[in-house]
Amino acid sequence: MSSQKKRNFQIEAFKHRVVVDPKYAEKTWKILEHAIHEIYNHNASGLSFEELYSVQCACVNVKLYSVVCYILFRVLGFLNRNKEIKVGHKQAKRNAYNMVLHKFGEKLYSGLVSTMTSHLKEIALSIEASQGDLFLEELDRKWTEHNKALQMIRDILMYMDRTFIPSTHRTPVHELGLNLWRDNIVHTVKIQLRLKDTLLELVQKERGGEVINRGLMRNIVKMLMDLGSSVYQEDFEKPFLVVSADFYRGESQLFIESCDCGNYLKKAEKRLNEEIERVAHYLDARSEVKITNVVEREMIESQMTRLVQMENSGLVNMLVDDKYDDLGRMYNLFRRVPNGLTSIRDVMTVHLRETGRHLVSDGERLKDPVDFVQRLLDIKDKHDKIINLAFNNDKMFQNALNSSFEYFINLNTRSPEFISLFVDDKLRKGLKGVSEEDVEIVLDKVMMLFRYLQEKDVFEKYYKQHLAKRLLSAKSVSEDAERSLILKLKTECGYQFTSKLEGMFTDMKTSDDTMQGFYAAMGHELGDGPTLGVHVLTTGSWPTQSTTTCNLPPEILLLQTSSKHITWGHTVDADGLSYREVEQATEIPTSDLKRCLQSLACAKGKNVLRKEPMSKDIGEDNRIFFNKFSSKFYKVKIGTVVAPKESEPEKQETRQRVEEDRKPQIEAAIVRIMKARRVLDHNNIVAEVTKQLQTRFLPNPVVIKKRIESLIGDGKFLERERTI
Amino acid sequence: MKKEDTVKLISSEGFEFVIDKNAAMVSQTIRNMLTSPGGFAETERNEVTFPEISTTILEKICQYFYWSLQYASGKETEFYIEPELTLELMMAANYLHT
Repeated sequence: MSSQKKRNFQIEAFKHRVVVDPKYAEKTWKILEHAIHEIYNHNASGLSFEELYSVQCACVNVKLYSVVCYILFRVLGFLNRNKEIKVGHKQAKRNAYNMVLHKFGEKLYSGLVSTMTSHLKEIALSIEASQGDLFLEELDRKWTEHNKALQMIRDILMYMDRTFIPSTHRTPVHELGLNLWRDNIVHTVKIQLRLKDTLLELVQKERGGEVINRGLMRNIVKMLMDLGSSVYQEDFEKPFLVVSADFYRGESQLFIESCDCGNYLKKAEKRLNEEIERVAHYLDARSEVKITNVVEREMIESQMTRLVQMENSGLVNMLVDDKYDDLGRMYNLFRRVPNGLTSIRDVMTVHLRETGRHLVSDGERLKDPVDFVQRLLDIKDKHDKIINLAFNNDKMFQNALNSSFEYFINLNTRSPEFISLFVDDKLRKGLKGVSEEDVEIVLDKVMMLFRYLQEKDVFEKYYKQHLAKRLLSAKSVSEDAERSLILKLKTECGYQFTSKLEGMFTDMKTSDDTMQGFYAAMGHELGDGPTLGVHVLTTGSWPTQSTTTCNLPPEILLLQTSSKHITWGHTVDADGLSYREVEQATEIPTSDLKRCLQSLACAKGKNVLRKEPMSKDIGEDNRIFFNKFSSKFYKVKIGTVVAPKESEPEKQETRQRVEEDRKPQIEAAIVRIMKARRVLDHNNIVAEVTKQLQTRFLPNPVVIKKRIESLIGDGKFLERERTI
Repeated sequence: MKKEDTVKLISSEGFEFVIDKNAAMVSQTIRNMLTSPGGFAETERNEVTFPEISTTILEKICQYFYWSLQYASGKETEFYIEPELTLELMMAANYLHT
């Protein structure tokens, strides 16, 4: 710094009084004390803020001088380059000032405490003296006044708040005021109990349906909160929760004895909403969780099992009667308590499984597969709707529903066959005249059931058979629907699953083309002769049960092949033939022949054949005649008896075939896995195979074991690790 | 300018400065004086006497109030303080809590 500037720098003496006189402190305190009294007596308008402020400022601001001195000395010391003097001087002065500072500040602070305390004691007396209902009002009024006064005092003493308090780590003025209020008013013996009781009594009155002064309640509760969350919790919240718990425990007992499940839930919901509303109106928002917990615990959790299993009105009845509202209410309430939903789910699962098992094991139902599947779909629809409307589409319930279905559908080993029959029925006639969207819906539902099946390959087997019959007898309602279903199966189970089914369609197409080619070339030669239908089928793609022999009589009139049966028409002499003769001549297996004859001879009004005696079934000793008639306009449509359910031996046969088919699949899976893993222990192989084949069927571990053994033994595909 | 929007600051020598309330409120102390509930004498008369602040300093302070408002609104200019005023200004600032 240049010497020029140094000369210009002047320091003037302080104009302020530097007061070290204790009397002065005394005097200034008197002024402030007077002011505080005036404030409490609502007489503040005569006071000058500036005066009060500067007085306490002078009382405290000695510190400022020390700061200023410090800066001055720094500056001077820098200018004079005389550091030793500076340090010594500064230290001495500062200590002196600090002493003064603390003495005065201390005085001011303790004076403030004692003055406020004495005022609050008076207030406490007047509150205690208030009678009955006026108690809360008085308390509220005094609290408002105190708050106002406190704010004014804080404003006046702002300087102390800013300098003295932080440096000595004391409670700031505002907080001090609140603490004093707490200790002198709220926590005095007489007021504390009375306040708690009054508040709880009011809440109880409101629960009883009376109207209470909510504004007042809010103010008082707000006061407790302002005094610190611990005050609120200790003085109000805890006893409040205890009392509430008692109340609701009693009430839930009362209700559960007198109401049915639906009504009880309604009441519980109403109580819960009331409590939430109460919290919103005059309690701390943080109490909401606590009080709702109390209600949930007492009203719902403790009665949960009883509610769910209540006779005539419990969960099962709600499910049966489609009570969406009640179910929704139950869901919403139970969701709040731990294990609530699980208990609903468990009961629902048990109920579903019971219903399902009842359905699938009911002998009557099993006679009509279409009806059976339709019932399954109805149950599924019903519960889907419940879950959708009442249970908020909760994943947990959907899973429960799915697992229940999976459980009971697979209880019945014929489910795959029935589902296939259902599809067969729908595609033959059920979907006639139905719009495309509806067809899709039906097919989607079927797919849903299909997903539950464990033995998908059995379904495939049956489906293939039924599809073959539909295709060969041209009974399918819509090819689009057929293809769409196959597409769905494909997305569900992959290309493998449907490749053969698709092959069947290709065959049909090729055969049609061939036939058309044949008629185009030969049509004029045939003239009026009977039409011939031939289908060329790829071995492997089609069901393989059709290798029955069939001797075609030379005098064939009409021939219609399907993979399996021949609709048999014949010039029979007037004498007729016995059943045995027919059988010998055609060498058609008994069951097929009987069915064909039945459709030819027994359908009313369409008898191409006549038999004796007239009866519904074909007996071995029947004689069969050709029913002679001729008409150019009359077209006889011969319906074969609809693909019936399989009889018991056929079923066994199919099952056996399925088992046979599974063997190579299991072997293939094992080899695939072993190629990837090289070495694997037995349990893991079984697990992996099960996992791989899950989409098609559930392999039996014993079978897997046998397959592994055969792979080790015959083909030397695998070998045991020698060390073991 | 309306009467309600201004406030009168009086120095130790009796000089009166009439300034915007907004500007005066830059000082926490003055803000408290004017907004404290219960009606102190200052609030009612709308004037504040500072027996400890000289005219020169108070003038500087008023200038500072306006400068501070400008500065807060994004206009960055220098606020020049004469060296001989520094000390007293500091004390006044401490007092006024600006």
